[in-house]
Amino acid sequence: MSYLEYRVQSVPKGLGKVLYLNWALIVLLTAVASTGFLMLYSVAGGSFRPWAEPQMERFAMGMTAMFIVGMVPIFFWRNVAALAYAISIALLVGVELFGTTGMGATRWIDLGFVRLQPSELTKITLVMLLAAYYDWLDINKVSRPLWVLVPLVLVLIPTALVLKQPDLGTAILLVSGSGIVMFAAGVHWAYFAAVIASGVGLVTAVLQSRGTPWQLLKDYQYRRIDTFLDPDKDPLGAGYHITQSKIALGSGGWTGRGFMQGTQSRLNFLPEKHTDFIFTTLAEEFGFVGGLSLLALYALIIVFCISSAMQNKDRFSALLTIGIAATFFLYFAVNMSMVMGLAPVVGVPLPLVSYGGSAMLVLLAAFGLVQSAHVHRPRGRA
Amino acid sequence: MIRTPLRPLARILKAREDGEDPGLIERENRRKRRDADRDRKRLRAQGRLLVLGLCFFAAYATIGVRMGILANVEPAEPKVASAGQQIVTQRADITDRNGRILATNLVTRSLYAQPHLMVEPERAARELAALFPDEMDEERLRGWFTGERKFIWLRRQMSPEQMQAVHDIGEPGLLFGPREMRLYPNGPLAAHILGGSRFEKEDVNAAEVIGTAGVEKAFDEYLRDPAQGGAPLALSLDMTVQSAAREVLGGGMRLMNARGAAAVLMDVHTGEVISMLSLPDFDPNDRPRPLASGNDPSESPLFNRAVQGVYELGSVFKIFAVAQAMELGLVNPDTMIDTKGPLVWGRYRIRDFHDYGPTLSVKNVIVESSNIGTAHIAMDIGAERQKDFLASLGFTKPTEIEMVEAPTGKPLLPPKWSEISTMTISYGHGLSASPLHLAAAYSTIVNGGTRVHPTLVKQAGPQNGERIISERTSRASVDMLRAVVTEGTASFGDVVGYEVAGKTGSADKPKPTGGYYKDRVIATFASTFPASDPKYVLIVTLDEGEDTIGSMPRRTAGWTAVPVAAAMIERIAPLLGLRPAVEPSQEAALIPANL
Repeated sequence: MSYLEYRVQSVPKGLGKVLYLNWALIVLLTAVASTGFLMLYSVAGGSFRPWAEPQMERFAMGMTAMFIVGMVPIFFWRNVAALAYAISIALLVGVELFGTTGMGATRWIDLGFVRLQPSELTKITLVMLLAAYYDWLDINKVSRPLWVLVPLVLVLIPTALVLKQPDLGTAILLVSGSGIVMFAAGVHWAYFAAVIASGVGLVTAVLQSRGTPWQLLKDYQYRRIDTFLDPDKDPLGAGYHITQSKIALGSGGWTGRGFMQGTQSRLNFLPEKHTDFIFTTLAEEFGFVGGLSLLALYALIIVFCISSAMQNKDRFSALLTIGIAATFFLYFAVNMSMVMGLAPVVGVPLPLVSYGGSAMLVLLAAFGLVQSAHVHRPRGRA
Repeated sequence: MIRTPLRPLARILKAREDGEDPGLIERENRRKRRDADRDRKRLRAQGRLLVLGLCFFAAYATIGVRMGILANVEPAEPKVASAGQQIVTQRADITDRNGRILATNLVTRSLYAQPHLMVEPERAARELAALFPDEMDEERLRGWFTGERKFIWLRRQMSPEQMQAVHDIGEPGLLFGPREMRLYPNGPLAAHILGGSRFEKEDVNAAEVIGTAGVEKAFDEYLRDPAQGGAPLALSLDMTVQSAAREVLGGGMRLMNARGAAAVLMDVHTGEVISMLSLPDFDPNDRPRPLASGNDPSESPLFNRAVQGVYELGSVFKIFAVAQAMELGLVNPDTMIDTKGPLVWGRYRIRDFHDYGPTLSVKNVIVESSNIGTAHIAMDIGAERQKDFLASLGFTKPTEIEMVEAPTGKPLLPPKWSEISTMTISYGHGLSASPLHLAAAYSTIVNGGTRVHPTLVKQAGPQNGERIISERTSRASVDMLRAVVTEGTASFGDVVGYEVAGKTGSADKPKPTGGYYKDRVIATFASTFPASDPKYVLIVTLDEGEDTIGSMPRRTAGWTAVPVAAAMIERIAPLLGLRPAVEPSQEAALIPANL
């Protein structure tokens, strides 16, 4: 042990905390979000309206939220984890009962001043609760069946509610995000192997059930799977998304057509060009180089989170950071796979870039938790 | 796991001998164990994080590589144009059985603006607003044309004249895109069958047309499938017949003051629907909006009475009970049936329209349309066998006709097929079905006894379906139906030369609140012609029709649906290529030749 480790450092206090924030992370987040503003400006045909401007306002709101959340000591967040989880479940149920329907699915709840998507919130509160749970649980009990069952139930409640909306994308994110937290917490390999095996079984069941009276998915969901498996079969119908985004990526080439020069996305070939499929605009206008740069920004965000987690000796902080990084990563990975035809189309936005309020606010507030964990990490002798 | 003991005996004893505190040894060992434990866990946790990191990295790498592959694909700009082209020529035509166009595409132009290409945006806004005063506002156009947007849709479709006028403004920033429109040249003639279409995806080069109802929707994928090479979809309809039938049915509906009417003409061997009508109808080129919720959808002209409308069809069902009883060997046409009325069953009473005396032959039960007689026959058959027989005629499921609306024409069956249900169903009450169901079932009865499934697609030959009744029973049934026209309730149905056979049915309409109206009737005539070798089945149904020529309004089918059907047969039989045959008259043969 080095001298430095023994040097007694106190946890920063007051406004001085600002100096101890993970500033690299803040710069990276701003860079990613700015890419988003550029793209939204471009798809609107060179206009801040109707997308770029509100998006910037929300980014400012989100950043403020991040600072506020980051200033609050991490133990507070650990203590309210269960409450936060309970509230988000209540909101999910509320959506079931009073939600307004958009795009064929009931996902929103109107709070008056903002239309909230509780499923977004749930992604974070679930990770918080799991981190708090494993912080509380004796590490030697982590792999005991009963203690594995508890978090499983905690995950399945919101997943079931979200699936009922129906929102397959969020359900996938919830399950895989929590899986990563449990994995990082040290749950035995065998459980994950079992879950993956039964997942394969479930997929088989879903595919087999098609056309039978107990059909598990909706027809449009099956069509998306078909499209994914063979997008060329129906290029103008269900395969439209994927075919068009491939064309956009292809027409961008290595260096792209230049800012505001994309035709594919501009001329309404692409549906949801400002939300889930915004990456196609970037790829078309800035090409492979631009796409790879954005990829690098996302990767760096994850790297900074993981390194912050590895340095953090507080178990809750480490797990929370990992969980939030994982959620962020999953958003990105699922969206990119979908856009590039590696996965079926499941309505997941590109984090911080896609137009949309709930997701952006919630993600930035979540990074506030990462900041709080970073600022308030135990220092000196552990 | 063998753990090192916290208090190793040898060391403790030695420590005691040396006068040291043995507790120190234990404490030191405890600390060592705790440190080792913590290091192990920490290592494991970091191992896990490392594995996670590797997984993340793998995912990033996959996405990056995929991006590289896609970026290397040939720039697909020409494909964009051809994608538009594909949309334009995509949707296949729909024709009738003789190749007459029922639905086709027409190229019109859409109008859009690209303000950055504009020379004089102010003037363009002014002149455009002057051209389309109703829908364009000069202020707003000016705002658009001088604003930052680079692309603005102005109008979806334009006539050639309008296009020329816009062209004459001479503004390079106003552009036209080709746009395909679905056109139904026959207007409302086969409205319910064709359904309708609307624009789905729209872009500058084209707009995708998709079906919204009827055949257009049922065959949507087929019509849009480029693999078909634009080959038209040939329906079983004959537009000449359809047109004549619509004229007669419309006239009959007005004459009888009916709320609505439906007709189905079916080829008894192929199951092809030659003509199908539901009035009132609509123009699919300008499809009306569905009624606001809360209203009865069957009041909308969009409602297809022939397919979606399920009604208690009344006495037209009697032939099914009689045919089944003959098939089972329970009766023959001359068997005498008890018709003493009223027939009391528990708290129910079954009555006849007239009193037919104590007995009637089976044939006369049909000819005179005796409810009591049919109920007695049905009791001999029994609930189970009746249910099976009606199911084999298709009355328990929606028809499988090729329209999206078909599943909504679901027959209403009694929740419990009791004995009283058996009796009432035998004369067409207590089971609701669509006129199309009835047409298919009559085809099965009269075509020699094989099952017929209705279809809207032109067929190559007869269906030769499953045998339901024997040819002998079929023949006997047709003879009885013929007698209904020559000597029974459907005497107005006799069309000279075409040997019409058929059965009338007049069912009181059920009240929404339960019970039946006394003065509202669904009148149906189910007919087939020519009786000597049935080729077609025609179902005519009038909703609340009444004949007001006499002193009392007459609502039974014999006065309303039958004359309409007769007029229709008179018009359409020649169109169907049937020659009027003079029936061999026995009297003529008996008169000695007066040479």
